[in-house]
Amino acid sequence: MNVMDKPVFSVEGLWKVFGPKADSVPADPGLTSLEPAELRARTGCTAAVRDVSFDVRKGEVFVVMGLSGSGKSTLVRCLTRLIEPTAGTIAIDGEDVRAMDKSRLRELRRHRAAMVFQHFGLLPHRTVLDNVAYGLEIQGVGRSERRARAQDVVAKVGLEGMEQRRPSQLSGGQRQRVGLARALAVDPQVLLFDEPFSALDPLIRRDMQEEVVRLHREEGRTMVFITHDLSEALKLGDRIALMRDGKVVQLGTPEEIVGSPADDYVREFVRDVSREQVMTVGTAMRPGDCGGTEHPGALAPDELVADAIKVVARSGKPACVVDNGRCLGVVDHERLLGVVAGTEPRKEAA
Amino acid sequence: MATVTASAPRALPGGLLKHRAAQKLLLLALVAAILVPLANARWASGSWPAALTVDLTKPLTSASNWIIDNRDSNPLFLYFFGYISNAVVISVHAVYLVLLAAGWAGVTALGALVAWRVAGVRLALGTAAAFLACGLLGMWVATMQTLALMVVAVLVSVVVGVVLGLAAGLSDRLDRGLRPVLDTMQVLPAYAYLLPVVLVFGMGVPAAVLATVVYAAPPMARLTALGLRGADKEVLEAVDSLGATAPQRLLTARIPLARKELLLGLNQTIMMALSMAVIASVIGAGGLGDRVYQALASVDVGAALAAGIPIVLLAVVLDRVTGAAGEQAGEESRSLRPWLYAAAAAVAVALAGRLAGRLDWPDSWTFDIAEPVNRAVDWMTAHLYSGVPVVGGTADWAGHFTTWVLNPVRSGLQGLPWWSVLLVVAALAWLIGTWRTALTAVLAMAAIGVLGVWQPSLDTLSQVLAAVAVTLVLGFATGIAAARSDRFERLLRPVLDVFQTMPQFVYLIPVVALFGVGRAPAAAAAVVYALPAVVRITAQGLRQVDPAALESARSLGATPAQQLRQVQLPLARPALLLAVNQGVVLVLAVVVIGGLVGGGALGYDSVFGLAQGDLATGLVAGAAIVCLGLMLDRVTQPTERRAKKGA
Repeated sequence: MNVMDKPVFSVEGLWKVFGPKADSVPADPGLTSLEPAELRARTGCTAAVRDVSFDVRKGEVFVVMGLSGSGKSTLVRCLTRLIEPTAGTIAIDGEDVRAMDKSRLRELRRHRAAMVFQHFGLLPHRTVLDNVAYGLEIQGVGRSERRARAQDVVAKVGLEGMEQRRPSQLSGGQRQRVGLARALAVDPQVLLFDEPFSALDPLIRRDMQEEVVRLHREEGRTMVFITHDLSEALKLGDRIALMRDGKVVQLGTPEEIVGSPADDYVREFVRDVSREQVMTVGTAMRPGDCGGTEHPGALAPDELVADAIKVVARSGKPACVVDNGRCLGVVDHERLLGVVAGTEPRKEAA
Repeated sequence: MATVTASAPRALPGGLLKHRAAQKLLLLALVAAILVPLANARWASGSWPAALTVDLTKPLTSASNWIIDNRDSNPLFLYFFGYISNAVVISVHAVYLVLLAAGWAGVTALGALVAWRVAGVRLALGTAAAFLACGLLGMWVATMQTLALMVVAVLVSVVVGVVLGLAAGLSDRLDRGLRPVLDTMQVLPAYAYLLPVVLVFGMGVPAAVLATVVYAAPPMARLTALGLRGADKEVLEAVDSLGATAPQRLLTARIPLARKELLLGLNQTIMMALSMAVIASVIGAGGLGDRVYQALASVDVGAALAAGIPIVLLAVVLDRVTGAAGEQAGEESRSLRPWLYAAAAAVAVALAGRLAGRLDWPDSWTFDIAEPVNRAVDWMTAHLYSGVPVVGGTADWAGHFTTWVLNPVRSGLQGLPWWSVLLVVAALAWLIGTWRTALTAVLAMAAIGVLGVWQPSLDTLSQVLAAVAVTLVLGFATGIAAARSDRFERLLRPVLDVFQTMPQFVYLIPVVALFGVGRAPAAAAAVVYALPAVVRITAQGLRQVDPAALESARSLGATPAQQLRQVQLPLARPALLLAVNQGVVLVLAVVVIGGLVGGGALGYDSVFGLAQGDLATGLVAGAAIVCLGLMLDRVTQPTERRAKKGA
């Protein structure tokens, strides 16, 4: 939607190789083409991130998704050089991150990108309030001001009344709220999430996901979200990069990933997804104006198929898909069932 | 080949392990078959061949003489050691004067208030009672002397330890360099540190303080490094991700995260400093240790006990208070106000004491226990020493132990050809550890021979072996019982706690009362000193055995004896080996001190050296003690311990 904006993060040909003489691997075409196991046998090196490129647009939630060991956590750490990349370029707002000196990099970490960690990474000897204010303290913000700002953020994430507790006195969900508040307190341009909810119970996890959705709706902050949970990725992501063995195998909207998997691996991955919860009417419709001037019970093109089924089932008639008063197409039982069954015709190139 | 075997012996199946063990022995036998006839042909002698010794007495004597002659003129002493020495004397004296100026009421109040703030009301009362008991026993001044020395020594140890620990915690290279040094210092007997310090500083307070620092700083350094290295990686990453500078990261994250280890380090440093401050009375530390030392020299058990009880009280109080500080790390509020109140109250009490003219402990309030204790000891000597029907007497026991155990072991060891001793050392060390530990052990043992103290060292070794055997039998039995019965363990725990905090020196008092002087009492003191650690490690090891393994054994219908023999003991093997290692190290520490009560051998040589100003004899004996300590540690050092520490 915000295509005209310049990307916040722009990653090009990024490599991260661990092991002896890691530098030589990305430069050698004979090595880059090897499978991971073969590469390790040949050089003793492990390539965690292999030739990854993507842009993160302003205001979107960009999800990097993959199983454990796919390199997604390494990738997000490379963005602020918590892990030093081996090759490739990273730019934030057009500025080369890899060329930054120490103080410039510190400035980036302090103000522009803040991270939320899987196991929270809280300081056990500080209260909730001081943990939240920690980022500001590091920046040298005065005590009373940073406490006041931290107080605001604590309220925003729903932790009022717990300011004086220690992390050990909180539940897992509450701890991650502290982690989230700490990242928000420095008012960063981008929020980076490294599997933030995978250590939480399913119910708490859902709460926290909704919290993130709410925050994103209210503030419109750019987010990079790492997860191994497909449903989480589909729920939160505007766009998803699916990683395997350090490579991005498909990058697209949730609908593109579910609707037109790039290869068998992705297809296997999304097999059990309830497609009606991801696919939209716009994809499911039979294109073409219905011809009429009135469109009773019309649907918007970005509405979910699951909602369209309700409408169509209730009225018993096909429904029109209308955008800005213009009729784009029609969905009927056959079309909608096709989506649920996964037999609908492949979406033509957009 | 050898390193491969040694690095993962536990992962190998039993048959293969035996096979590997046999391989090691075979290889060793091969080496022996070549070297022994050669050695035997050249230096045929039962004891260490004279041709292979180096007499260090002359150079050491001349070195020590040179130092004594030049102490007042050489710039190194004048401008370096002299300053250190003066600074130490001045600060100890200053602390001592402050303690005296605060008066007994002020010191007691201060101690109690600190204990109250750190550890609660019960310990505060205990602390006050302990200080008052010191006064009641007529030991107030001696206690303050020891305390003053300790305050200075602990402060210096903490500073040195934290600096070394920070270096080792932050730099991998320094850590690799420092770790083996600290590991080795940990296993050397306290006694070994005394002589080199005396050589440079002469007898007196500076030497005592510095020996204490050398002994007490390593645990602080180790634990500081451990705490810094053990910090949660993700927390540090989070701190980095927020853009912290290196100093910010250290001050706001790494050090606070290591707080628990730092306080544990402080606790250990204080305990070791107390232990050493007492032993250092031998080189002129004064205070409580000196009273014990003097009393023991004249076998005056009552006087020794009167000085020994304050030491024990001091140890227990210091341990509990600092231990409590470590346990509640991070829990208490940061507020300073209660501390201010406490300080004000202490000052008020001190002033009140001053105004009331009761600065010194009133003489009329002391209670002389030496008399009645000595009467009791006399009665014991008369009635329990020997001739008690059926059980015999304590002196009889000591005599039998000497005749039937110590003497045969000693003559056995001294009768062995020297090369066979080396072979046994090599075989044991290699079977339990790696070829590296075996090599170190053999070299250490050979160094003893080269130093020309082969015979007395074997005498000391025989005492160590006998005491270790007794310790292990008693310790394993008690440990197994404690692991099997919760009630027994609950009863045992406070006893072990107290025993583990007491300085080594104190153990000599009761054994002298019971067994008189000689080698048997020295061994007995060593057994009592080493027993708590062995019991504790054994019980812990057995209790930490995987419950699932035990449960599956039970579900198959194993009897308790079968469970113990087939599941618990094999799985607790690393803990048992560690218990042996600790037992050996601790026993040696006390057997050496046993030289003060007639243990003879190396311990006696070093005391004699100190007492007669014959530093050469003392230093050679001290070096032999170091070698013996190294050898015993390496021989019993399980591979796992190395691996764990390296991780």
